Amino acid sequence: MEKYFDISYIWNSLPVLLPFLRVTFMVAGLSIIFGTFFGLILAVMKLGKSKVAQKIANFYTTVLRCTPSIVLLFLVYYGVPALADNFGLYLHDLNTAVFVVITFTLQFAAIMSEVIRSAYESIEKGQFEAAVSVGLSPLQAYRRIIFPQALVVGLPNFGNGLIALLQEGSLAYTIGLIDIVGKANLIIAANYNTHALEIFIALAVVYWVISILIEKFFGKLEKVFSKGKQTINTN
Amino acid sequence: MSEGLNYTFLIDTFFIALSGVPITLLVTIVALLFALPLGFLLALTRINQVPILNWFSRIYVSFVRGTPIIIQIFIVYASVPLILSLFFEKYNININVYNINPIWYAFIVFSFSTTAILIEVFRSALSTVNKGQLEAAQSVGLSNFQAYRRIVIPQALVVAMPNICTATVNLIKATSLGYAMSLQEITLKAKVAANVGYNYVEAYIDIFLVYIILCSLVEYGFKLYEKRLRRYKYVSA
Repeated sequence: MEKYFDISYIWNSLPVLLPFLRVTFMVAGLSIIFGTFFGLILAVMKLGKSKVAQKIANFYTTVLRCTPSIVLLFLVYYGVPALADNFGLYLHDLNTAVFVVITFTLQFAAIMSEVIRSAYESIEKGQFEAAVSVGLSPLQAYRRIIFPQALVVGLPNFGNGLIALLQEGSLAYTIGLIDIVGKANLIIAANYNTHALEIFIALAVVYWVISILIEKFFGKLEKVFSKGKQTINTN
Repeated sequence: MSEGLNYTFLIDTFFIALSGVPITLLVTIVALLFALPLGFLLALTRINQVPILNWFSRIYVSFVRGTPIIIQIFIVYASVPLILSLFFEKYNININVYNINPIWYAFIVFSFSTTAILIEVFRSALSTVNKGQLEAAQSVGLSNFQAYRRIVIPQALVVAMPNICTATVNLIKATSLGYAMSLQEITLKAKVAANVGYNYVEAYIDIFLVYIILCSLVEYGFKLYEKRLRRYKYVSA
């Protein structure tokens, strides 16, 4: 009789799974780029003077924070083509990766807008005023004085957002994207649903390693960028 | 092809989705009841650097934070029946493991993951309380337990509350993945209703609305509680 649990399945599935990380990373990367850009716009709206823009941006963030990724994913997957029908566009054949990217862009933008806002607000107003008073233009003051300081504050949150995005991205298999999770499910189906546990453990290990690497990378990055930072030593 | 939204279905399914709320809340509350004390105790092991437990909780937190919750669900859903059936076979207990209510798996998974999140929440909250507070409490004759209960925990709780709120909202959101264990909660109920007539857009709009209402209420409740707790913070001011 075959064993219930065979550890060799973990090793054997890894080489098959790893190439599909490319899809996972591509989707996550595109979502990060678009999401950061969109999040920047939202943060500007939140920090700006217009009350209406503030309300809209805050409402958007609240709604997105309250929506499970899987619900948003399906809402986009079914909703966007249905909406496009009204404008005479036929989007039902679009690559599933596009829907995944749209979903996680929307979600990451909400996270990023808060990261950017809190990072910006952590920098004292006096910094900007001092920079302008010594003759820098506002743009220069933002680029040379505010941005480098806000970056250090925002980096850990950005790293956490990144890890969260990567993990939520594992849900993309539900709409049929063949990323690493999708491939794992295909392997299990090919094994007639046996040895699912081993494959899932392999999957967990892959995600765990990636998350640790990202965490370590951001820790290093933070050290590099905060080298000019001087704080009161409290020890 | 554009036929617009089916409004009667939209309204009917809203109530079907709403009927899943008790299950979602039950899983959330059980997970929190389990995770709050355990997370606090394990956070104490991190802070006091209890030898083996300290390492255990570090690896535990790292694993939960490093792996998607859906994969944790898959692992529990695949491994627990396996272990249980071996166990039942050995002791000749005549229970079919495949008849177990999926809610038990949900309790296991969500308690497991929430505990890890709360370890980090409590750890950071406890580290914001000045060490002098504990020492001062002990110096006036309070026992260690009293000092924590009366002095340290109330102060740490004020700091921890917003993060506990976020963890709760995330937990509610995560229960939507219970469909993978065929747990009869909001998402699955509405989805099953949609399967009949392929009204997926309407069903997901309903699910979306239910979660927004649910999470907004939870956030509002926490905000009220935070306000009440804050009185501890300004006593000394």
